Amino acid sequence: MKIVIANGKHEADFVINMFKDQTKDLIVINSDKNFADYIVKNNKVAVFVGEPYKRFVLEDSGVRDADIFIALGEKDTDNYATCMLAKKEFNVKKCICTVTNPKNVDIFKRLGIDSVISSTYLLANSIKSASSLEDVIQTLSIEEDKIVLTEIVINPTYRIANQKIMDINFPQNATISCIYREPHVIIPNGSTIIKPKDKLVVISTPDEQEKVVKFIQTTNKK
Amino acid sequence: MRNKVIIIGCGRLGANIAALASEKGQNVLVIDRNRNAFDRLPESFSGYTVNGDATDLSLLEEAYVKTAKEVVIATGDDNVNLFLAHVASVIYEIPNIYVRLDDPERGVLLKGLKIKAIYPFELSLNKFNLMKGENI
Repeated sequence: MKIVIANGKHEADFVINMFKDQTKDLIVINSDKNFADYIVKNNKVAVFVGEPYKRFVLEDSGVRDADIFIALGEKDTDNYATCMLAKKEFNVKKCICTVTNPKNVDIFKRLGIDSVISSTYLLANSIKSASSLEDVIQTLSIEEDKIVLTEIVINPTYRIANQKIMDINFPQNATISCIYREPHVIIPNGSTIIKPKDKLVVISTPDEQEKVVKFIQTTNKK
Repeated sequence: MRNKVIIIGCGRLGANIAALASEKGQNVLVIDRNRNAFDRLPESFSGYTVNGDATDLSLLEEAYVKTAKEVVIATGDDNVNLFLAHVASVIYEIPNIYVRLDDPERGVLLKGLKIKAIYPFELSLNKFNLMKGENI
Protein backbone atom coordinates (compact mmCIF):
# COMPACT_ATOMS: atom_id res chain seq x y z
CA MET A 1 0.00 0.00 0.00
CA LYS A 2 1.41 3.33 -1.08
CA ILE A 3 0.51 6.20 1.23
CA VAL A 4 1.38 9.86 0.77
CA ILE A 5 1.25 12.41 3.57
CA ALA A 6 1.46 15.99 2.36
CA ASN A 7 2.14 18.94 4.67
CA GLY A 8 0.76 19.36 8.17
CA LYS A 9 2.51 19.77 11.47
CA HIS A 10 1.81 17.62 14.51
CA GLU A 11 -1.12 15.88 12.90
CA ALA A 12 1.27 14.80 10.13
CA ASP A 13 3.80 13.64 12.70
CA PHE A 14 1.10 11.54 14.37
CA VAL A 15 -0.17 9.97 11.16
CA ILE A 16 3.36 9.22 9.94
CA ASN A 17 4.16 7.54 13.21
CA MET A 18 1.02 5.45 12.83
CA PHE A 19 1.71 4.30 9.28
CA LYS A 20 5.47 4.03 9.13
CA ASP A 21 5.57 0.44 10.34
CA GLN A 22 2.52 -0.66 8.42
CA THR A 23 3.64 0.22 4.94
CA LYS A 24 6.96 0.15 3.18
CA ASP A 25 5.81 2.71 0.71
CA LEU A 26 5.26 5.86 2.74
CA ILE A 27 5.96 9.17 1.01
CA VAL A 28 6.14 12.28 3.14
CA ILE A 29 6.08 15.76 1.61
CA ASN A 30 6.40 18.90 3.69
CA SER A 31 6.97 22.48 2.64
CA ASP A 32 8.43 23.55 5.97
CA LYS A 33 12.13 22.69 5.99
CA ASN A 34 12.45 22.90 9.76
CA PHE A 35 9.46 20.72 10.39
CA ALA A 36 10.66 18.27 7.75
CA ASP A 37 13.91 17.95 9.72
CA TYR A 38 11.91 17.29 12.86
CA ILE A 39 9.89 14.55 11.17
CA VAL A 40 13.05 12.93 9.83
CA LYS A 41 14.61 12.92 13.29
CA ASN A 42 11.48 11.84 15.11
CA ASN A 43 10.20 9.15 12.77
CA LYS A 44 13.28 8.07 10.83
CA VAL A 45 11.53 8.46 7.52
CA ALA A 46 12.61 10.45 4.47
CA VAL A 47 10.82 13.72 3.83
CA PHE A 48 10.57 15.43 0.49
CA VAL A 49 10.71 19.19 0.98
CA GLY A 50 8.44 21.18 -1.31
CA GLU A 51 4.94 22.53 -1.89
CA PRO A 52 2.73 19.52 -2.68
CA TYR A 53 0.39 21.48 -4.94
CA LYS A 54 3.24 21.92 -7.40
CA ARG A 55 3.39 19.43 -10.19
CA PHE A 56 7.15 18.87 -10.11
CA VAL A 57 7.06 18.17 -6.37
CA LEU A 58 4.51 15.40 -6.82
CA GLU A 59 6.41 14.13 -9.87
CA ASP A 60 9.81 14.03 -8.11
CA SER A 61 8.53 12.56 -4.88
CA GLY A 62 7.00 9.68 -6.82
CA VAL A 63 3.39 9.78 -5.71
CA ARG A 64 2.05 8.34 -8.95
CA ASP A 65 -0.56 5.59 -8.48
CA ALA A 66 -0.55 5.97 -4.69
CA ASP A 67 -3.39 4.21 -2.89
CA ILE A 68 -4.03 6.94 -0.34
CA PHE A 69 -3.06 10.60 -0.42
CA ILE A 70 -3.60 12.70 2.69
CA ALA A 71 -3.35 16.51 2.57
CA LEU A 72 -2.90 18.03 6.02
CA GLY A 73 -1.89 21.59 5.16
CA GLU A 74 -3.12 24.69 6.95
CA LYS A 75 -4.92 26.33 4.06
CA ASP A 76 -8.03 24.64 2.74
CA THR A 77 -7.54 25.84 -0.81
CA ASP A 78 -3.92 24.57 -0.84
CA ASN A 79 -5.13 21.15 0.27
CA TYR A 80 -7.81 21.29 -2.38
CA ALA A 81 -5.36 22.09 -5.17
CA THR A 82 -2.99 19.38 -3.88
CA CYS A 83 -5.66 16.68 -3.83
CA MET A 84 -7.07 17.61 -7.23
CA LEU A 85 -3.61 17.53 -8.77
CA ALA A 86 -2.82 14.18 -7.15
CA LYS A 87 -6.09 12.73 -8.33
CA LYS A 88 -6.33 14.10 -11.84
CA GLU A 89 -2.68 14.03 -12.88
CA PHE A 90 -1.07 11.35 -10.74
CA ASN A 91 -3.76 8.70 -10.69
CA VAL A 92 -4.00 8.58 -6.92
CA LYS A 93 -6.78 6.22 -5.88
CA LYS A 94 -8.14 7.91 -2.79
CA CYS A 95 -7.58 11.47 -1.58
CA ILE A 96 -8.24 12.61 1.94
CA CYS A 97 -8.29 16.34 2.51
CA THR A 98 -8.43 18.16 5.83
CA VAL A 99 -10.12 21.55 6.06
CA THR A 100 -10.45 24.20 8.75
CA ASN A 101 -13.67 25.71 7.41
CA PRO A 102 -16.38 23.09 8.02
CA LYS A 103 -18.45 24.51 5.17
CA ASN A 104 -15.82 23.22 2.76
CA VAL A 105 -16.56 19.59 3.59
CA ASP A 106 -19.57 19.34 1.31
CA ILE A 107 -18.18 21.61 -1.39
CA PHE A 108 -14.86 19.78 -1.73
CA LYS A 109 -16.71 16.48 -1.98
CA ARG A 110 -18.97 17.89 -4.69
CA LEU A 111 -15.91 19.04 -6.60
CA GLY A 112 -14.47 15.54 -6.58
CA ILE A 113 -12.39 14.92 -3.46
CA ASP A 114 -13.09 11.47 -2.02
CA SER A 115 -12.94 12.27 1.63
CA VAL A 116 -12.91 15.62 3.42
CA ILE A 117 -12.29 15.91 7.14
CA SER A 118 -12.93 18.89 9.35
CA SER A 119 -12.48 18.62 13.09
CA THR A 120 -15.08 21.34 13.63
CA TYR A 121 -17.53 19.49 11.39
CA LEU A 122 -17.00 16.26 13.31
CA LEU A 123 -17.32 18.11 16.58
CA ALA A 124 -20.54 19.81 15.48
CA ASN A 125 -21.99 16.52 14.34
CA SER A 126 -21.16 14.77 17.56
CA ILE A 127 -22.65 17.64 19.55
CA LYS A 128 -25.72 17.46 17.36
CA SER A 129 -26.20 13.78 17.92
CA ALA A 130 -25.37 14.09 21.60
CA SER A 131 -27.80 16.91 22.22
CA SER A 132 -30.78 15.76 20.18
CA LEU A 133 -30.51 12.35 21.70
CA GLU A 134 -29.93 13.42 25.27
CA ASP A 135 -27.39 11.73 27.43
CA VAL A 136 -28.91 8.27 27.33
CA ILE A 137 -28.20 7.78 23.66
CA GLN A 138 -25.09 7.18 21.67
CA THR A 139 -24.85 6.98 17.94
CA LEU A 140 -22.38 5.56 15.54
CA SER A 141 -22.35 6.16 11.80
CA ILE A 142 -21.17 3.45 9.49
CA GLU A 143 -20.77 3.10 5.73
CA GLU A 144 -20.08 6.81 5.26
CA ASP A 145 -23.13 7.95 7.18
CA LYS A 146 -25.57 5.77 5.23
CA ILE A 147 -26.39 3.71 8.29
CA VAL A 148 -26.57 4.80 11.91
CA LEU A 149 -26.58 2.75 15.04
CA THR A 150 -28.47 4.32 17.89
CA GLU A 151 -28.16 3.14 21.44
CA ILE A 152 -31.06 4.09 23.65
CA VAL A 153 -32.04 3.18 27.18
CA ILE A 154 -35.69 2.43 27.92
CA ASN A 155 -37.23 4.58 30.58
CA PRO A 156 -40.16 2.98 32.52
CA THR A 157 -42.37 5.88 31.42
CA TYR A 158 -41.95 5.11 27.73
CA ARG A 159 -45.04 3.87 25.99
CA ILE A 160 -43.22 0.87 24.51
CA ALA A 161 -41.91 -0.34 27.89
CA ASN A 162 -43.32 -3.75 28.82
CA GLN A 163 -44.74 -4.28 25.33
CA LYS A 164 -44.08 -6.94 22.72
CA ILE A 165 -42.18 -5.67 19.71
CA MET A 166 -44.86 -7.01 17.35
CA ASP A 167 -47.47 -4.84 19.09
CA ILE A 168 -45.69 -1.51 19.03
CA ASN A 169 -45.73 -0.82 15.27
CA PHE A 170 -42.03 0.04 15.07
CA PRO A 171 -41.12 2.56 12.31
CA GLN A 172 -40.07 1.29 8.92
CA ASN A 173 -36.46 1.51 7.72
CA ALA A 174 -35.34 0.82 11.26
CA THR A 175 -34.76 -2.35 13.22
CA ILE A 176 -34.01 -3.17 16.82
CA SER A 177 -30.90 -5.18 16.11
CA CYS A 178 -30.24 -6.21 19.69
CA ILE A 179 -31.27 -5.53 23.25
CA TYR A 180 -28.75 -5.32 26.01
CA ARG A 181 -30.32 -6.41 29.27
CA GLU A 182 -27.78 -6.84 32.07
CA PRO A 183 -26.00 -9.18 31.78
CA HIS A 184 -27.46 -10.65 28.58
CA VAL A 185 -27.61 -9.66 24.97
CA ILE A 186 -30.90 -10.55 23.35
CA ILE A 187 -31.47 -10.79 19.63
CA PRO A 188 -35.12 -9.83 19.59
CA ASN A 189 -38.02 -11.19 17.59
CA GLY A 190 -41.62 -10.08 17.45
CA SER A 191 -42.58 -11.66 20.72
CA THR A 192 -39.71 -10.17 22.70
CA ILE A 193 -40.95 -7.85 25.42
CA ILE A 194 -39.11 -4.56 25.84
CA LYS A 195 -38.43 -3.93 29.50
CA PRO A 196 -37.44 -0.80 31.42
CA LYS A 197 -33.67 -0.27 31.62
CA ASP A 198 -33.17 -2.30 28.42
CA LYS A 199 -30.58 -0.81 26.14
CA LEU A 200 -31.87 -0.97 22.57
CA VAL A 201 -29.43 -0.92 19.69
CA VAL A 202 -31.36 0.35 16.72
CA ILE A 203 -30.07 0.30 13.19
CA SER A 204 -31.59 2.81 10.79
CA THR A 205 -30.97 5.28 8.01
CA PRO A 206 -29.87 8.75 9.19
CA ASP A 207 -33.16 10.23 7.95
CA GLU A 208 -35.17 7.88 10.11
CA GLN A 209 -33.05 8.32 13.22
CA GLU A 210 -34.92 11.28 14.65
CA LYS A 211 -38.29 9.63 14.01
CA VAL A 212 -37.18 6.42 15.65
CA VAL A 213 -35.85 8.20 18.71
CA LYS A 214 -39.06 10.18 19.01
CA PHE A 215 -41.06 6.98 18.64
CA ILE A 216 -39.14 5.16 21.34
CA GLN A 217 -39.19 8.11 23.71
CA THR A 218 -42.93 8.67 23.47
CA THR A 219 -44.20 8.47 27.01
CA ASN A 220 -47.50 7.16 28.33
CA LYS A 221 -50.08 9.85 28.63
CA LYS A 222 -51.56 9.60 32.05
CA MET B 1 -31.68 36.46 -14.67
CA ARG B 2 -27.93 36.33 -15.10
CA ASN B 3 -26.77 39.90 -15.52
CA LYS B 4 -23.94 40.48 -13.05
CA VAL B 5 -20.23 40.71 -13.63
CA ILE B 6 -18.43 39.54 -10.50
CA ILE B 7 -14.77 40.31 -9.96
CA ILE B 8 -12.98 38.42 -7.20
CA GLY B 9 -9.75 40.02 -6.07
CA CYS B 10 -9.44 43.78 -6.37
CA GLY B 11 -5.77 43.96 -7.25
CA ARG B 12 -4.43 45.92 -10.20
CA LEU B 13 -5.97 43.53 -12.72
CA GLY B 14 -9.27 43.05 -10.92
CA ALA B 15 -9.75 46.76 -10.23
CA ASN B 16 -9.05 47.73 -13.83
CA ILE B 17 -11.37 45.10 -15.26
CA ALA B 18 -14.05 46.23 -12.79
CA ALA B 19 -13.59 49.88 -13.73
CA LEU B 20 -13.84 49.10 -17.42
CA ALA B 21 -16.93 46.95 -17.06
CA SER B 22 -18.58 49.60 -14.89
CA GLU B 23 -17.79 52.27 -17.47
CA LYS B 24 -19.51 50.17 -20.10
CA GLY B 25 -22.65 50.15 -17.99
CA GLN B 26 -22.38 46.58 -16.72
CA ASN B 27 -23.76 45.54 -13.36
CA VAL B 28 -20.47 45.02 -11.52
CA LEU B 29 -19.71 43.59 -8.09
CA VAL B 30 -16.16 43.38 -6.71
CA ILE B 31 -15.13 41.12 -3.83
CA ASP B 32 -11.93 41.44 -1.82
CA ARG B 33 -11.04 40.37 1.68
CA ASN B 34 -9.02 43.53 2.20
CA ARG B 35 -11.18 46.66 2.41
CA ASN B 36 -8.30 48.92 1.38
CA ALA B 37 -8.08 47.12 -1.95
CA PHE B 38 -11.19 48.98 -3.10
CA ASP B 39 -9.12 52.20 -3.09
CA ARG B 40 -7.79 51.00 -6.44
CA LEU B 41 -11.22 51.53 -8.00
CA PRO B 42 -11.66 54.93 -9.71
CA GLU B 43 -14.02 57.60 -8.40
CA SER B 44 -16.32 56.91 -11.33
CA PHE B 45 -16.84 53.27 -10.36
CA SER B 46 -20.57 52.74 -9.93
CA GLY B 47 -20.71 49.04 -9.02
CA TYR B 48 -20.89 47.29 -5.68
CA THR B 49 -18.08 46.22 -3.39
CA VAL B 50 -18.25 43.30 -0.98
CA ASN B 51 -15.63 42.97 1.73
CA GLY B 52 -14.92 39.36 2.72
CA ASP B 53 -13.40 36.00 1.88
CA ALA B 54 -14.75 34.69 -1.40
CA THR B 55 -13.73 31.12 -0.61
CA ASP B 56 -16.58 31.14 1.90
CA LEU B 57 -19.54 30.16 -0.25
CA SER B 58 -22.08 31.92 1.95
CA LEU B 59 -20.36 35.18 1.04
CA LEU B 60 -20.54 34.32 -2.66
CA GLU B 61 -24.22 33.61 -2.34
CA GLU B 62 -24.80 36.92 -0.59
CA ALA B 63 -22.95 38.50 -3.49
CA TYR B 64 -25.58 37.13 -5.87
CA VAL B 65 -23.19 34.66 -7.51
CA LYS B 66 -26.21 32.82 -8.87
CA THR B 67 -27.09 35.80 -11.00
CA ALA B 68 -23.61 36.17 -12.50
CA LYS B 69 -23.17 35.99 -16.25
CA GLU B 70 -19.44 36.46 -15.92
CA VAL B 71 -16.85 36.07 -13.20
CA VAL B 72 -13.25 37.25 -13.23
CA ILE B 73 -11.04 35.56 -10.64
CA ALA B 74 -7.81 37.37 -9.92
CA THR B 75 -6.78 37.01 -6.29
CA GLY B 76 -3.11 36.79 -5.40
CA ASP B 77 -3.26 33.07 -4.61
CA ASP B 78 -3.29 30.53 -7.45
CA ASN B 79 -4.89 27.81 -5.36
CA VAL B 80 -7.69 30.14 -4.28
CA ASN B 81 -8.17 31.14 -7.92
CA LEU B 82 -8.24 27.52 -9.02
CA PHE B 83 -10.74 26.53 -6.33
CA LEU B 84 -13.01 29.49 -7.10
CA ALA B 85 -12.89 28.71 -10.82
CA HIS B 86 -14.00 25.13 -10.09
CA VAL B 87 -16.76 26.39 -7.78
CA ALA B 88 -17.94 28.92 -10.38
CA SER B 89 -18.00 26.25 -13.05
CA VAL B 90 -19.21 23.10 -11.28
CA ILE B 91 -21.44 24.48 -8.55
CA TYR B 92 -22.80 27.74 -9.95
CA GLU B 93 -22.45 27.00 -13.70
CA ILE B 94 -21.53 30.59 -14.53
CA PRO B 95 -21.40 30.90 -18.32
CA ASN B 96 -18.20 32.93 -18.59
CA ILE B 97 -15.32 32.29 -16.24
CA TYR B 98 -11.94 33.99 -16.46
CA VAL B 99 -9.15 33.10 -14.08
CA ARG B 100 -5.60 34.34 -13.65
CA LEU B 101 -2.97 31.76 -12.76
CA ASP B 102 0.62 32.76 -12.12
CA ASP B 103 1.78 29.15 -12.38
CA PRO B 104 0.90 27.85 -15.87
CA GLU B 105 1.27 24.26 -14.66
CA ARG B 106 -1.73 24.72 -12.40
CA GLY B 107 -3.75 25.06 -15.60
CA VAL B 108 -3.89 21.27 -16.15
CA LEU B 109 -6.66 21.20 -13.56
CA LEU B 110 -8.89 23.31 -15.80
CA LYS B 111 -9.03 20.61 -18.47
CA GLY B 112 -12.55 19.68 -19.50
CA LEU B 113 -14.11 22.73 -17.86
CA LYS B 114 -15.40 25.85 -19.59
CA ILE B 115 -12.89 28.15 -17.93
CA LYS B 116 -10.66 30.64 -19.69
CA ALA B 117 -7.26 31.09 -18.09
CA ILE B 118 -4.88 34.04 -18.23
CA TYR B 119 -1.19 33.28 -17.60
CA PRO B 120 0.86 36.45 -17.01
CA PHE B 121 4.05 34.42 -17.37
CA GLU B 122 3.19 33.28 -20.89
CA LEU B 123 2.10 36.77 -21.86
CA SER B 124 5.42 38.22 -20.67
CA LEU B 125 7.42 35.52 -22.42
CA ASN B 126 5.53 35.98 -25.66
CA LYS B 127 5.99 39.72 -25.47
CA PHE B 128 9.69 39.31 -24.82
CA ASN B 129 10.09 36.96 -27.76
CA LEU B 130 8.15 39.36 -29.91
CA MET B 131 10.28 42.34 -28.90
CA LYS B 132 13.47 40.42 -29.34
CA GLY B 133 12.36 39.28 -32.75
CA GLU B 134 11.74 42.85 -33.75
CA ASN B 135 14.91 44.31 -32.39
CA ILE B 136 17.51 41.80 -33.50
